[in-house]
This record gives sequence, C-alpha cells and structure tokens, in this order.
Amino acid sequence: MYGFEALTFNIHAGYLEAIVRGHRAGLLTAADYNNLCQCETLDDIKMHLSATEYGPYLQNEPSPLHTTTIVEKCTLKLVDDYKHMLCQATEPLSTFLEYITYGHMIDNVVLIVTGTLHERDVQELLEKCHPLGMFDSIATLAVAQNMRELYRLVLVDTPLAPYFSECITSEDLDDMNIEIMRNTLYKAYLEDFYRFCQKLGGATAEIMSDLLSFEADRRAVNISINSIGTELTRDDRKKLYSNFGLFYPYGHEELAVCEDIDQVRGVMEKYPPYQSIFSKLSYGESQMLDKAFYEEEVKRLCLAFEQQFHYGVFFAYMRLREQEIRNLMWISECVAQNQKSRVHDSVVFIF
Amino acid sequence: MEEQDQMQSSIEVEELEEQQQREGKRLEEENVVRFLDSLDSYVTLLDSLSSTLRQGWLELASARQSMGASRINGALLDLKFHSAATSLQVTHHDDEILNQPHFTLCKWASSKNGYGDEKLRENKLQTNSDGPQLRHRSQFAEKIPETKGAPLIVDDQVQKERTKSLSMFGTLVSPKLRAAQLSFETALETLVEIANVRLTMLSTSDQVRKELEGTEG
Repeated sequence: MYGFEALTFNIHAGYLEAIVRGHRAGLLTAADYNNLCQCETLDDIKMHLSATEYGPYLQNEPSPLHTTTIVEKCTLKLVDDYKHMLCQATEPLSTFLEYITYGHMIDNVVLIVTGTLHERDVQELLEKCHPLGMFDSIATLAVAQNMRELYRLVLVDTPLAPYFSECITSEDLDDMNIEIMRNTLYKAYLEDFYRFCQKLGGATAEIMSDLLSFEADRRAVNISINSIGTELTRDDRKKLYSNFGLFYPYGHEELAVCEDIDQVRGVMEKYPPYQSIFSKLSYGESQMLDKAFYEEEVKRLCLAFEQQFHYGVFFAYMRLREQEIRNLMWISECVAQNQKSRVHDSVVFIF
Repeated sequence: MEEQDQMQSSIEVEELEEQQQREGKRLEEENVVRFLDSLDSYVTLLDSLSSTLRQGWLELASARQSMGASRINGALLDLKFHSAATSLQVTHHDDEILNQPHFTLCKWASSKNGYGDEKLRENKLQTNSDGPQLRHRSQFAEKIPETKGAPLIVDDQVQKERTKSLSMFGTLVSPKLRAAQLSFETALETLVEIANVRLTMLSTSDQVRKELEGTEG
C-alpha cells in the first residue's frame, strides 16, 4: 500500500511479526483485570497471574509478596520477549529494536548519577536500574564528577554518545543540571528515533511518526506542567521540547509561557486530536491527566496492529506491555494499601 | 446571746463547707469534661492522621506510576549530611494547672539563610493556658512579622524549601508528588497535635483519678 512492503517484509521480519502478534494475544484482557481488581491480597494477585503469561515468573516467589517484586518479575517477561526478538532480528529491525531501549538507558544513567550525587551505594543503584537499559560500563558512571567526564569515561562508547553533544559542560553535576541533562538526552533520542523511522519509509515511517509525535507532545505538556513554580526559565523550558510533533513550533511557543494548568489546557484545546483528552477533565484538575494521556496512547498503539508489514507493531507491543506492568503495579499498590475503591483511578484497559 | 453567736458561726461554717464542697464538685466535673474533650479530640485526630497518611501513600504510588519507578524509589534518598528542614521544639508551661510540656513544630526552618520560617500550631484545647514560654509567629498570621519581611516572601521561602526537599527525585516532578508531600506535611502537623492532646488527656486523667481517690478516702 505504501511502498510494496508486502512483497519483501516477510523475508526478514515475517517470523518476528508473527511472534509479536502472538505476544500481543497474551496481553491481559478485561476479564483478567476484573479478577485482579477484586483481589484482597498480593498472594491473590499472584494466584490470578499464575494463569497468564506471567505465571512462570511469579510462581517461585515466596510470600509475603511485595509490590516491587511483582513489577520486577513481570518486567522480566518483557525483557525475555525483547531479547528473543532482538537476537532473531536482522538490520534494520535490530537497530529499530535497540532504539526502543534507549529511553530506559537514559533513565538508568540519570538514576546512577543522581544516586551517586546522594552518596548511595552503586550496587544498590544497579539493582534499581531497568534491565532493558543496562550496558556494560554502567557502573563506571559513579566516578564522573561532571558531564564532560560522564561522556569521556563512559558514554562515548554507548549508543547515547551522539545525544550528549548538546549537554556537555564542565559544570559539576547537581539536581538541576541532571534534570536538564535527562530531558535534553531524551529530546535528542526522540528526534534521532524519528529521523531513523523517516529514513525507513513506508508504513513504518507513517505509523511511527504518529506515535513518536504523540510522545513528543506528551513530553512537552508534562515538562510544562512539572516546571510550573520551579526555577526553570521559559527559554530553558522551550529548549527541552522536541523539534517535531503537533505542537511544534507554535504550540511550543505558547506552552513555554504557561504559568498554570488551565493555560496548558488552553493551548492543547486548540489542537483537535488533543481536545478529547481535556474534555474528560474539569478545570484546574491535573491528577487524571496522566491517565487520559495513557488512554490516548493505548488507543494509538492498538491501531498499529491493524496494519501489517511495518515495525510499528514491535514498538506498540513493548509499550503496551509497559502499560500493562504499570496497571499491575497500580492494582498491587491499591490492594496492598487496602484502597481498592481507587483501583480504577489509574488502570488503563488495553483491549 | 453567746448561744446565738455560736449558732451563727456554726451556720456560717456549715455554709462555708457546703460552698467548698460545691466548688470541689464543680472542679471535679470540669476536669472530667476536660478529660472527655481531650479524649474526643485525640480519637478524632488519630482518625484524621490515618486518613491523611492513607491519602499520602496513595498519592506517592500515583506519582510513582506517573514518573516511573526509576525516578521515585528509596535508592535516591539523599545520604549526605544536611540540616533538618523541620524540627520539634519542646517548651514548658508556667501554668499551675497544666504543668506539662508543649510541642511546637518548626517547619521548613533552614539554618543556611537564617530565614527560620516557623509555624505555630496552636492547640485549641489549651484555652486556659498562658501559652508556651517561647512565642512563635505563625506563617499564616495576618500581622507582618517584624524580622521576617512580608508574608509573600515567607510563602516563597516555604515553597523553595519544599521544592528543595523534593529535588532528590528531580527538579521537574509531577504535581502528584507535590500533593503527596503536602499530605505527609499535614500528617506531621497532626502528629504534633496528637502529642499535645495526649499530654492534656493524661494530665486531666491523673487529676480526675486523684480526685476520685480523695473522695473515696
């Protein structure tokens, strides 16, 4: 339909597309969520999950369970699926799959650097890192005093190296610099991923540009809201927005000067695809905004499976699994805290 | 004549004794009422603390879900030496009736810039007391503090201290995390109120018990 992918896609990626569609069928259903939301204890949750694809990962966990244990073990399932796909993939799919993990790599780098700044033990920090974002020299991050050293000692040999050009300084690392570093890296990563997908062309470019544009726009809104009342200047805020997406460039100009949530709402409502998000919220409310964004994201990710012969299904599967793990984390927290009435505040149903 | 005088004086003595008995009974009843009031406040505050903490923990879980587990976890707590943002002061009453200590929470008092922003949480039950020996100005007082500048500056300083304490999780944090911080802050204030009310309750309980023992004796 776009560029004759139907003729050649299955030669190299047909097997993996079939695999990922099989994994998609294993996502939790509405019936599973109904059962989980009625659980009284974390052991009940474990019992219900034993009948799902998470069963083998949780079966050997002793009681009493902790919510972080459930999340860790469910994440291992995602990691195993990803590693299987990666080792079977050829170029350019293997590069595409690697791009999906760079976000976690950035989070891990920031976690280690922040924890080291707070004089935490490196081993303790490594245990908290996301497994999809691990790389060989990650523990060496703890010795860096500033971004220049961070780049020179560790990150120059990682896939994040090209993203550092915009944030290399000799200033010592502190909380504000680390936050700006995080967001600058993520901005560079998203832009790079976007360019890569555009180069792939065809259905992959079409579908991924929609998904990545949504990601960039969501980041812009979250940065705007989270920086209200902080020391981040308007210019610095604007520098953290990605150079693509529906808001680029005029929406970014307006978001940069917003001083409260209602002004952000005013900016978003000018864009028809995002009007439905705020229509669910009352004025001044920001608590349910995350859920509204997640619901919109899930809708777009599910639509990616409606087409064949593109790499977007891999990205969509990974993101849907991550959403599912977030749902399980929330349900576990509500059960553990005996607040089951609040369980539907943040659960996003996928199918 | 002498008999009349004696009768007069015995009547006066009886009247005096009756008056003292009535006074004693009134004081006894007052102490019982004060004890029951403090008990009621204690139970109410415990309930309030429980619901505030539940709300705080859920907001923290919500922030964790929004920002991600790598941004909100115990491994990021700062182990570097730093001065306490909040402290508890114990003062003693001069009151003869309630000879007990009084707890005052000093929130967001930073020793670095000398802007010791202090918050007084008045115990509404202690209406008979002359107040603690040290006086602390409330941050929400209508009067402008003489040495602290305008209330707006004080509020800005409090906001900065709040942001500073959250900075271990990053400088751009979700509003949910800020809401969780406010909930735990409220819970801390409630804890101090509970401590003060508990002291009053124990003190009045002791008085009532002594009076009852005295009556039985």
